[in-house]
Amino acid sequence: MSRLHRFLRSPEAIAGTAILALLFAMALTAPLLFPGDPQAIAGPALLPPFQDWSLPLGTDRLGRDVLAELFHGARTSLAVGLSAAGAALLIGAVVGTLAGFAGGLIDEVLMRITDAFQTVPGFLLALAFVSIVGPSLGVVVAAIALGAWTGPARVARAEVLSIRERDYVAGARVIGMHPLEIAFREVLPNALPPVLALSSVIVAAAILTEAALSFLGLGDPNRVTWGAMIAEGRAVLRTTPFLSIIPGIALVLTVLGVYLAGEGVVETTAVRRSLS
Amino acid sequence: MSAFTISRRTVLAGSAALLASTAMPVIGRAQTPKRGGRLVVAADSEPRNLNPAIVASNGVFFISSKVVETLAEASFDGKDGLQPRLALSWEGAADGLSVTFKLRDGVKWHDGKPFSSADVAFSALQLWKPLQNLGRTVFKDLSTVETPDELTAVFKFAKPTPFQLIRNALPALSSVVPKHVYENGKIEENPANNAPVGTGPYRFAEYKAGQYYRLAKNADYWGKDEPYLDEIVYQVLPDRTSAAAALEAEEIQLAAFSAVPLADLDRISKVPGLKVITKGYEGLTYQLVVEINHRRKELADLKVRQAIAHAIDKDFVVKTIFLGYAATATGPVPKNDPQFYTADVPTYAFDVAKANALLDEAGYKKGPDGNRFSLKLLPAPYFNETKQFGDYLRQALAAVGIDAELVNNDSPAHIKAVYTDHAFDLAVGPPVFRGDPAISTTILVQSGIPDGVPFSNQGGYKNAELDALIAKASETLDTTARTELYKEFQKKVAADLPLINVAEWSFISVARDTVGNIANNPRWAVSNWADTYLAG
Repeated sequence: MSRLHRFLRSPEAIAGTAILALLFAMALTAPLLFPGDPQAIAGPALLPPFQDWSLPLGTDRLGRDVLAELFHGARTSLAVGLSAAGAALLIGAVVGTLAGFAGGLIDEVLMRITDAFQTVPGFLLALAFVSIVGPSLGVVVAAIALGAWTGPARVARAEVLSIRERDYVAGARVIGMHPLEIAFREVLPNALPPVLALSSVIVAAAILTEAALSFLGLGDPNRVTWGAMIAEGRAVLRTTPFLSIIPGIALVLTVLGVYLAGEGVVETTAVRRSLS
Repeated sequence: MSAFTISRRTVLAGSAALLASTAMPVIGRAQTPKRGGRLVVAADSEPRNLNPAIVASNGVFFISSKVVETLAEASFDGKDGLQPRLALSWEGAADGLSVTFKLRDGVKWHDGKPFSSADVAFSALQLWKPLQNLGRTVFKDLSTVETPDELTAVFKFAKPTPFQLIRNALPALSSVVPKHVYENGKIEENPANNAPVGTGPYRFAEYKAGQYYRLAKNADYWGKDEPYLDEIVYQVLPDRTSAAAALEAEEIQLAAFSAVPLADLDRISKVPGLKVITKGYEGLTYQLVVEINHRRKELADLKVRQAIAHAIDKDFVVKTIFLGYAATATGPVPKNDPQFYTADVPTYAFDVAKANALLDEAGYKKGPDGNRFSLKLLPAPYFNETKQFGDYLRQALAAVGIDAELVNNDSPAHIKAVYTDHAFDLAVGPPVFRGDPAISTTILVQSGIPDGVPFSNQGGYKNAELDALIAKASETLDTTARTELYKEFQKKVAADLPLINVAEWSFISVARDTVGNIANNPRWAVSNWADTYLAG
């Protein structure tokens, strides 16, 4: 309870949470408020915002409703951000735990693989992966996770290295638990909190990477994404800048919201730890 | 480089002031060309092989047509729509088995060696016929080229070949390269493919990857007083939105091939000092086409193809996607073609109800989710407009209960998916009409083309009647009879819909007012620019 209080006392955390709540609301209500295909042609092309109240944010070059696209785009951004982060954390935690707990040759091999992935910029890796496999939502998620799991892996390994020397781990060994069971039942859950603290950064980066891929035309063309909306608007940037600005603002706010909320959580847990 | 431009500009300002009383730069008014100056042009792609005798494509011509010349160039008012370049005259024999070219005297290659009929014979037999993407079809029956003297080349054909076809092919297919440069070693690996040697008004000077191509004036050019410019620089600007900004900042003076996005033209036409030119591309008509994979059982049904044709609002496409800079299409020959076009073909008005009815008739009823069947739709990535049309087509098909899934690829992957792997149901393609249906149009519907030939019928369509018609037209020598056969061809294609022609479009140039003699032939952007000049 007091943790929640502390969390709510931080203005950044409140702002971040509010933005995230709004984003989730947008994503969840999109199919109710804007049923049907958000890419359907809804009106005259290039209608400016606030002219026609049935199309409050205007229309794009083909006459598609910008507001509907914005709502449905929130779904894509969140889906990609959360699932890519989830996948990255999962891979990272497993690899890190195995490396830290097993030590020796396994540790060496796994960490050199991690090094190899870490030396390639995550975005380039995603770009290469999507251009080879072909753009679709699942591939984009995998591509982003491919470049994002190394951070969690390193943190998890460092944490596991200290935990595996603790008494209760030795105890588990003594009672004859299988090493893998010890690693994933006893060690991993205790190594998780610092790993999870990375999640906000990973989600924010994943949303940005997805937008950048879509901007370059490597997103899933059958789904609305903010990055693709910005790219579409770029051709008419000088005459109708709102087509790029509106999804741009949405993107900035989302990343900011995820980051602020994440910071709030980290700060709250940090205070708790120092207090305990 | 910018410092150099400014100093040149200052120097030229004085001379411009002198000329100002007689030569105010007014659009459309003839003025005396001025000598000197550097023309900076936007280039949006960087072709590696610059040999137009091997790669006959507009991206290559845009740069190398200034260096390597053809036998003849397209013309607005010349006989048969041609004007002489390296050939002064051309004459076809009545039996269709030979064509005689009289060549220009006193022409020198950029390396100083004289140009002669041997070069023409070598180019035709060693490059156009075996290697060139388009020449392979047009010159397939060329057996020898006789050179009775230095300035006469007689093309001999094994089978009668229509003279009209050879004539229409001259501007795009007849780039002459020097025999002495190419005769040793493998032609495809010759270094001159990347630094072309020709007879044109400009020499190839320099290429810096990712930055620019530079062409320098050929002082020994055969054209009297030509060329006027000292240099042409192709500034590589791959980002389409940057060309407009570069024009406004006076960093470049010309953006051809619609380098300025259509949506920006309205604004840019109001910028003082810039002009928007829609002429000069009449010989380079692109066609917006829905390619159909007839291996899909639904699409093999004519009723389904008709329904798709009825589902497309061509006026919307022209008005919204091309912003009016295009025309709706009726068939495989564009409306602006003076020789072959006929409007007397079956047409498909935009009619969603009729499309739905046709699909019901074909037996593809709507399922509980409103869909009849699903398709894979591959829009070609080469143009903004082809991609946007892909987005539109998906919506248009959804309106009649066909669920189309868009698949985006980059250019090499798209060409492989459509033309080699046939991994598509519908594709959006931009084939080019090159003045004669036999050059690059009949190949889009003809059967029996090997897998992997790009921009050809890879949809598995087979119509013996159409194949016979194409074969007959390709050996009909009489121009009138041949033209009639191609009118018949248009009717049959529009009736059976091996593919759906949606729109026809050309390009737009934006130039500073100072650039003179723009758009004075139907292939201006890919012609030699010998008479282009800068007024100040």
